[in-house]
Amino acid sequence: MRYKRFFWFLFSILLGAVVGVLYGWAVNPIQYVDTAPPSLRSDYKADYVLMVAEVYQREQNLAQAVQRLAFLGDEPPLRLVQQAIITSQELGYSVEDVQRLAALSQALQQAAQGGGQP
Amino acid sequence: MNERRGPWYLLTGFVIGLGLGLLYAWVLNPVEFVDTDPASLHPQFKDTYRVMIALAYQADSNLGRAYERLKLLGDADAAAELSAQAQRLLAAGGAAQEAQALALLATALEQHSRALPAEGTAAGAASGEPLAVGGSTAPPTADSIQAVQTATAAPSPTLTPMATFTPRPTSAAAAAAEGPFLLRDQQQVCDPQLPNGLLQVELAEASGRPLPGVKITITWEGGEEFFYTGLYPQISAGYADFILTPGVIYSLRAGQGSKTVSGLSAPECTGEDGSRYAGGWRLRFEQP
Repeated sequence: MRYKRFFWFLFSILLGAVVGVLYGWAVNPIQYVDTAPPSLRSDYKADYVLMVAEVYQREQNLAQAVQRLAFLGDEPPLRLVQQAIITSQELGYSVEDVQRLAALSQALQQAAQGGGQP
Repeated sequence: MNERRGPWYLLTGFVIGLGLGLLYAWVLNPVEFVDTDPASLHPQFKDTYRVMIALAYQADSNLGRAYERLKLLGDADAAAELSAQAQRLLAAGGAAQEAQALALLATALEQHSRALPAEGTAAGAASGEPLAVGGSTAPPTADSIQAVQTATAAPSPTLTPMATFTPRPTSAAAAAAEGPFLLRDQQQVCDPQLPNGLLQVELAEASGRPLPGVKITITWEGGEEFFYTGLYPQISAGYADFILTPGVIYSLRAGQGSKTVSGLSAPECTGEDGSRYAGGWRLRFEQP
């Protein structure tokens, strides 16, 4: 009888744990309302990089562009732009937009080769 | 004796298990959101994102694209949010170029929503209504195309930048904001309903179209300040204002290369009940 009670006691703990996990993951998961830019989905990141490239196209200020790309996290700016180019091709960005990204990538590459910060 | 304790031990076990489950789900191994959208960003990051949208709009003058991007932030009234941010930025001594870009975009959205009240209003951003501007929209996202997640993909070594692209000219709106402007009208305003010492400035193109994003410089003995048109699109895209301190004499210049308006000070007005208060001025400038 005692073993039976112990079994049901363990079973109730297990059932409670399962219900708790289900509630915590599915019914009422932790809400991420104040997220940080590095967690953005890759297509949103690509669009942000495109905005930086659009502004760079007008201003031709590479240092400013690098500063703006830092919004997306600690990754090297060149890598962020290259990832954006890949995403842009997968998502079918217009030729003009891909060219803008490529121009920014090229400028970052040249700066890196010249010993610049990027 | 034991049998008389009843089934309460089952409830105890369930509660213990529930606590352990929640501890695991909320603390030890919570749900991770790695592919978030801009609407979930912290307000501070949203502000940065919004500035970037405005600067990109200033660069390419593509309102449809800017609108689609603003929709991603989930603002109920995108134009109002842009104006508010521009004012917050100026009040905090932030970058004037960014405030100007925000104001320009706010005004453009406001003007568009006035022109086409039935479609694409700023308030409609949250409802996902399309905006019929030039037929161009933001680049596609994975919502419209089932994108392959490439967050960890290696850059393609064969990708070669194209060297044939030429920079676009500065947008016409930004160029027009430089001026010069001529003072067409200057009126003293005595209206107790308005804030004391309110200096109202309106700038327009030669055609009469209000002009947002124009920098106005106001100076006085020992001080100088800047403000911009377009921060109050609900009044007019070319409207800006400043509070004059009674007894201080100001000089004002709209844009660049314009003639300075000197000797501005808050006039003394008399109310219907005989009380005295500081009135204001209304200045209207136009491009020649």
